[in-house]
Formats: sequence, C-alpha cells, structure tokens
Amino acid sequence: MITFGETSLDKLLQWLRSGGEPKDIKDVLQQYLLILSKSVTEDSE
Amino acid sequence: MTVVSFQGSASEQGLAEEVYRLMTTQGSFFALDAPIKQTLANLTDFLASKYQRSHADIASQIDAALRANDTLFQRQEIESGVLYVTSRQGAYVPRSDADTHSFRQRLHEPDHPLPIDDISVVVSTSRPAITTVEPVFVSDYWQVQAGMAPVNPVSVSIDFGHASTVPTMPVSAGDVAAAPKLVVAVPEPVAAPERVVAPPEPVVAPPEPVVAAPERVVATPEPVVATSKPTAAPKPTVETKPATAPEPVAAPERVAATPEPVVVVQKPVTIRPDRNTVITLPEGLAIDLRRSVPEILAEYGAQLEKILADRLDQDPLRRIVSFGRSYYPEASVINLGKNDLRKIRDYILERNEPLPDTEIIADLYYHNPRQSDYEGFRFSLNYRLCREKDFEFVGVEGARLWSTKGLPPIGGKRVKAAEMGQITSYLAEGYDNSLELQSAEAITKSGALNRLLTFFEWEYGVLPFDASIAALIPTPMLPDQRSAVLRFESPQHYTTYLVEVRYPTGNRGGWLQGLEEFFREHLVPGALITISRGSEPNQFTISYEEAAETSDRLLTLDEKKNKFAFANLTYYCAVDVDQVPSQSRFGRLKNLKSLPMGERRKSEIVLEHIFEVMGEQAGTRSDPRYTLSLGDLLLSYNVLRPGSRSLLESLLVNGESFSPDEQNPGKYVFIPAPREGGSEEGAEGEEGDGDLQPARRRFGRYADDDE
Repeated sequence: MITFGETSLDKLLQWLRSGGEPKDIKDVLQQYLLILSKSVTEDSE
Repeated sequence: MTVVSFQGSASEQGLAEEVYRLMTTQGSFFALDAPIKQTLANLTDFLASKYQRSHADIASQIDAALRANDTLFQRQEIESGVLYVTSRQGAYVPRSDADTHSFRQRLHEPDHPLPIDDISVVVSTSRPAITTVEPVFVSDYWQVQAGMAPVNPVSVSIDFGHASTVPTMPVSAGDVAAAPKLVVAVPEPVAAPERVVAPPEPVVAPPEPVVAAPERVVATPEPVVATSKPTAAPKPTVETKPATAPEPVAAPERVAATPEPVVVVQKPVTIRPDRNTVITLPEGLAIDLRRSVPEILAEYGAQLEKILADRLDQDPLRRIVSFGRSYYPEASVINLGKNDLRKIRDYILERNEPLPDTEIIADLYYHNPRQSDYEGFRFSLNYRLCREKDFEFVGVEGARLWSTKGLPPIGGKRVKAAEMGQITSYLAEGYDNSLELQSAEAITKSGALNRLLTFFEWEYGVLPFDASIAALIPTPMLPDQRSAVLRFESPQHYTTYLVEVRYPTGNRGGWLQGLEEFFREHLVPGALITISRGSEPNQFTISYEEAAETSDRLLTLDEKKNKFAFANLTYYCAVDVDQVPSQSRFGRLKNLKSLPMGERRKSEIVLEHIFEVMGEQAGTRSDPRYTLSLGDLLLSYNVLRPGSRSLLESLLVNGESFSPDEQNPGKYVFIPAPREGGSEEGAEGEEGDGDLQPARRRFGRYADDDE
C-alpha cells in the first residue's frame, strides 16, 4: 500500500539532506516519484 | 498464611506434610512466592537418618508422596537428580513479568499512532548536540504499523512445553509424515539384572525441531539411546538398574531418533505486503507508478505538486519544511536566536524600508553566494523570519523582502486598509471592466498596461487591484501573504517609489498604494499612465505620455476645509479630455461632499449623492427628479471612490430609485424617496453637511490603523 506523501518519505528526506540546499517543489516531486517508482519496481522483482 | 492440604494415603499425606514443613522452614525468610527447592537426595538423607530406614525405601516413599501432591510440589529432573520446588504460599507459581500497562509500553505503542509508513525507524525530532540527526530506533511496533515488520521468530507452545524458534509454517499431512519421528523409550521395571533394551515406540512428533537440544536423561544412570529401528535394539548401550530398585528407569524422554541432525532447517520466508503500483489520490486521481516519471509529471505535475506540498505540510514530524516553493529538511535549518532577530529588525528599521533577504545576509552575516551553505542559510533566514510575528514577508517570487514592525506605512494612512478593502470589494464581486481594452494575455505577454487615472486614484495615490493589474503584478508567494512591496521607477524623472500591493482576500478587494507623490507631482486626473515590468520581479516602471504645457482649473480636494474645489493646475501629460474633471465641464463637482470613507463604501449612498449633485433637476423642488449620463456618472463616482462601469450599471438596474431615462437614451433617472417632513432644504443644503461628517485624514494625521 503506497500512500502518496507518506511512503518512502524518509528516503526523500535523505536525498534532500544529501543535496545540502533547498530544492524546488518541482525537483522534490520528481525525486519522490523516482523513489516510489523504484520501490514498486523492486517489489515486483 | 496459606493453608495447604495433602493428597494420597495417610502415610503419604504425613510424609508430604513433613517434607513441606521442612522446606518451608528452610525458606522461612524467603518471599511468599519465592521458589523453595530441595533435592530428593537431601530429603532422603535427612529422613533416612531420622527414621533409620534404607535410602532406597525412603526415597521411593518420598517420591511417591510428593508425586501424589504434585500440585504442591513441582517435580523437576535435573542433572544431579530430582528436584522438588514449592513455596511458602503453596504451589510455586513463577512470577509473571508481563507488563501490560507500563508507561514504556504506552510510549512506544500508543493507541493512536502517528501515520508512519515504509520506514524501519522513527526519527526523533529533538535536536542532538551534534549537527546530524541520526535515526533513533524506537520500536518494532512502528514497523508493524508501517507494514514493514520483519518475520520475527514466533513462539508456539506445543505439548511438550517447548518453544520453537523456527518461523511457523502451515503444517500439511505430508509435512507430518516427513517430519523426524520421535522415539520415546518406555521404561519398564526391570526384574532381573539382564540387559534390557527398551522397546522403541514410534511417536509422531510435531514438525518443530524439538530435539535440537535434547535434554539430558536424568532419572537413570545412563541415557537410553534408541534408534528408529527396533533391530538396533541389541546395541549394548543400555544399562539397567538392579531389580531391587523399583524406580522407573526414566520418565518419557525424548532422544535423538536418527543420527541425522534433527533440527528442521527451513528457509526464512519474508512475506511482503502486496504492493499496489497504482496510487489513488484525492479527486479520483489514479497514477500507475510503472509509468515513466516524466510522463507522470507532464500529465499530473501541477496537481501532484500541490498534493505533495500539502502532505509535507501535514507531516506531524515536520521533517521537511518549506518556504514558498523551496523545501529543506527541518533538521538542516539553521536556528536564529533572539539576538539575530533583534539585529535583523534593527537593520531593517535603520534602512527604513523592507529589505531583501540577500541584503540582510550580505550586510549582517557577510555570507557570500559562492559559499556552499549560502542557499541553506538563506532558506533558514526566510523560514525563521516567516515564523516570527515581528516580521512580515512582503516579497514576491525572486525577490524576498522582509518588513518589520515600526516601519513607516507605505502610502500614508489617508485610507485605512479595512475601508479600502470594502470599497474595492466590487472587484471581488466581479464588476471589473479593466480587461475590455487590454486582455490579460496581452498584458502578461507584453508586461505592460495602460490605464486612465481617476480623481480618487490621483488624490490618494491608490490603484484598485483589478484584473489588468493582477495580470501584471506577481502573485503572492506565500499562501497567507497579504501584501507585497514593489519598487516603481519613473524613468522620466529618475525617481523611485515604494508601492505596497494589498492582495484581495476573500470578499475584499485589493489595491496598490504609494503613488500619491508621483501622481500629484506629475499627473492630473484623466492622464494616461503606463505600468511596465522591470528587470527584477519586484521592479516596475511607471510612465506617461508627455505633452505640451496645459493649464486648467481642475478639481482638487481642499483638505483644510475638507471640500472639493477647483484650482489652477499646469500639467505636461497627455490626458483624455473627457476624463479630466475640469471646472468648465464638471463645475458641479465642487459641490460633492467629501464623505467619510465609511460612507463611501456604501455604493448606493454615493450614487444617490452623485445624482443629487451632478444630475439635471428634471422634476420639481418638492418632487425632485435627477438625470445624468452614465459617462458623467462614472467620472463623478470615481471622484469619491473607485468604481467600474459594470458596478454602476448593476446599481442602476437593481436600485429601486434608479431607472433609465426614456426621453434621453443613455441617461439615467434618480427619483429620491420622499423625505419626512417635506423639508425644502433640498440639494442646496450641502454646506450644512448634516450627519455626514467628512473625514480629515492627510499624511497620517491619524495614527490608528485598523489592521
């Protein structure tokens, strides 16, 4: 069950922290979708 | 004290009672529920010497008596023999360590847990001494809540009282058949000193590897080892006891049935919750995550941005915070102390105008944009100031300006914010004609708009925030932002003005203020002005078409007398002659009352007053009837307050006292309601003012601001 905005938020936070600077919501959304897609792909594998 | 009763024959009861008394005496200082242990050997030694009987005899009697009272005496077989356990309160009951309602449990496993999903840890929001916040493992409970619980060993009690450490799996008939069989040697009393092999009796064992750590045989001198095949019985591995010892060889014991390892090795199985690749969002938005990210972004980007922003804002742990469109980990936000805030506030007050964040950082913190932490610090500054009540964000996207308490108001205080909000509410109601000459697309594309200046705008330096201005001015950057400060430059005069944008809120309209000096200095009502975007998001230019010198008697507001009057003015700008309130054309304008702003927000009262002053008296003195064209009505109306043509048309259509003049197309008629007492003071009584007391406000004479 994936909850948009809750699932894998820790990974998004990790990415944001590693960047070292604020990110635009557009970039944040793109990265978050990547994380979610990756998690789905891994699970299906 | 607990009264115990004994079972068995009379002799067994007596013996059991004596043993119980011995053991409780021995443990008289023990806790009531503490176990009191004693071996059979010790008891035999004591009682054999006491009663002068053989050890074997007394041992068997003791054992029989205590077995008859097994509710009181717990029998345990240990390596060195048999052990009996009892307690002062009777049968020994192991103390329960179950902690069902502890603070620790309630802390870690609350009734209403926060929504956590897909994380294996819960991160503490407390700031540690070190700069990095490491995840703090709290409890597996959260993993269970998140559906990410690992497959933990499950304790399953079986008949033998053992716990399995192997993951539970469904047991099928095949599993049972294939499971290692447990062979139990059944003891039989041995009558002769022959070597006797206990016949193995196959017993189907549960699938658990219960023989992984076989217990040692304690009852007999040597453990009985049996094989799974009876043919192996003659193996001389069994020692028997002499027949004189009627004691059972051993209690049923479990021994290794086969030489193979009997531990059932099962591969750990991780059961993942079924993952649905389709996420369903509010408004019925369903997105399949198997699609490519660019594809999803292209289709749902704007909606997802908003949803994600909302979700991040609603995160109870506030792990990711935002300022405008920028997002940053809360743990990375640099803290600003009171001294920092005071320093920033003092600096803004010293500069006497709102300052951009970059300027504050450069002048107070000497941070260079080339430094790696510059953007993080900039975000932190904006984020912290945004949460302080002494600071107000008045910037736009690309120019983040901060204002603070104590700065002089931009545009003075001649008009109160609450009053202007109500006066311009007609724009929020939809009576807006500002896009008739220029479309919003054209304004946005060209970055410039033209408009004619009305008397009210010229007098107070205010521009209503209509659709044309909305197409030009940046939108608020923050959701609750109520104003922004822009810089208007006049390239014709090399002057700069701070203009405050008051954004519309709810049913209140918005406006721009701060151009009073420019308007009064260089323009007249009816002038055509052009507002264009500048090089920065908060910079604009204001210009007008220059024209030859013109002198005329134009309407002005005599502030001392609080009356309208005509005065000689010389101007150098191009005007729309029809919109210039000159004495030659609109001589009656000086008879308008300078109504208080509180009265001006009442559209119908202002309209009636305009009719009475500016209209042609077509009736009698006792039965007045005023006619006025819509054009003159609009110009006059905009002397007292801003208003659009559609607003006036709506008032004229819906007002009971107004009607189109059938004799003079394009004109409207106003028939005032009959006045009580039939007073003949009429329209000429303006000088008396009556109950309409004009406001006296000029350049902040009144310090109160209702906002």
